[in-house]
Amino acid sequence: MDDPLVIAGRELRSRLITGTGKYRSPEAMRDAVIASGCELVTVAVGRIDLDQVDEAITDYLPEGVSLLPNTAGSASADEAVRIARLARAGGLPDWVKLEVIPDPRYLLPDPVGTLEAAERLVEEGFTVLPYVLPDPVLQKRLESVGCAAIMPLASPIGSGRGLKLRHAIEIMVEQAEVPVIVDAGLRAPSHAAECLELGADAVLVNTAIARADDPAAMAHAFRLAVEAGRAARLAGLIEERETAEPSSPLGGLAARS
Amino acid sequence: MSDGVIVIVNGRERAAAPGETVESLLENLGLGAQFALVERNGQPVDRARYGETRLEDGDRLVVARPVAGG
Repeated sequence: MDDPLVIAGRELRSRLITGTGKYRSPEAMRDAVIASGCELVTVAVGRIDLDQVDEAITDYLPEGVSLLPNTAGSASADEAVRIARLARAGGLPDWVKLEVIPDPRYLLPDPVGTLEAAERLVEEGFTVLPYVLPDPVLQKRLESVGCAAIMPLASPIGSGRGLKLRHAIEIMVEQAEVPVIVDAGLRAPSHAAECLELGADAVLVNTAIARADDPAAMAHAFRLAVEAGRAARLAGLIEERETAEPSSPLGGLAARS
Repeated sequence: MSDGVIVIVNGRERAAAPGETVESLLENLGLGAQFALVERNGQPVDRARYGETRLEDGDRLVVARPVAGG
């Protein structure tokens, strides 16, 4: 099926984006990325420990997978802009998953700082994908400053609680002018399928895969769920009804009069 | 080392040779093969300029790279 996800003019075949964090080993990460079929993986930017330089995560990524650097660790717009600039100057892609997160307890993004950073980064030529609460008004503001996709959270990062703000994400999907990518909080492949069924363009999954007993097998399960959810969306789901509607003739063989 | 300079790399002082560049610093740190990202005095250094960016006394450098993240 020719149904690519298009972000900033770039076509992606996979609607599943994965993170590279929390794996038990870089080999497990590599195997899961391959099994997921994803074309885009997130990475953070961190200082190198000069006393103990180990292998880089990038050495383990399969060919053909592109990096999406994030601005994790930024508590303010200034810090996020600094990380994005450092990543691009050093040769990473100019796409950035923008995160501005002031408080580690719930890891919820700061909408004001995110909007400010997004505006600055777009002006500097970055392709900006902001991580936000599912706020349809904020979505419109971020679109208006030129963001390439909007990444609303399903529930707090790593919580595995699924789509807790489904109705807000439905509004975002309904009024979206750029792709909506549900990011964070998914636990089960059924959650991912639900996101695609309601019309989200893609999902980003990290913890649910990385912390599974068998990450590669779970990555494969998420791949199937994303494909199923998208196919169902395109097929057209029936409306919910209050009452039953028979699928078989009610009469059977009995003559009723 | 009278012509050498002292720079601060990831928060730690380090003596650098005269004429040290970002590129040679990375090699001397054993990071020649790494995909290192470099910030000098708060400004990102373009990869294309690693070889021509000479370190000066008191420079503060951050050396980073992509790490696992979501």
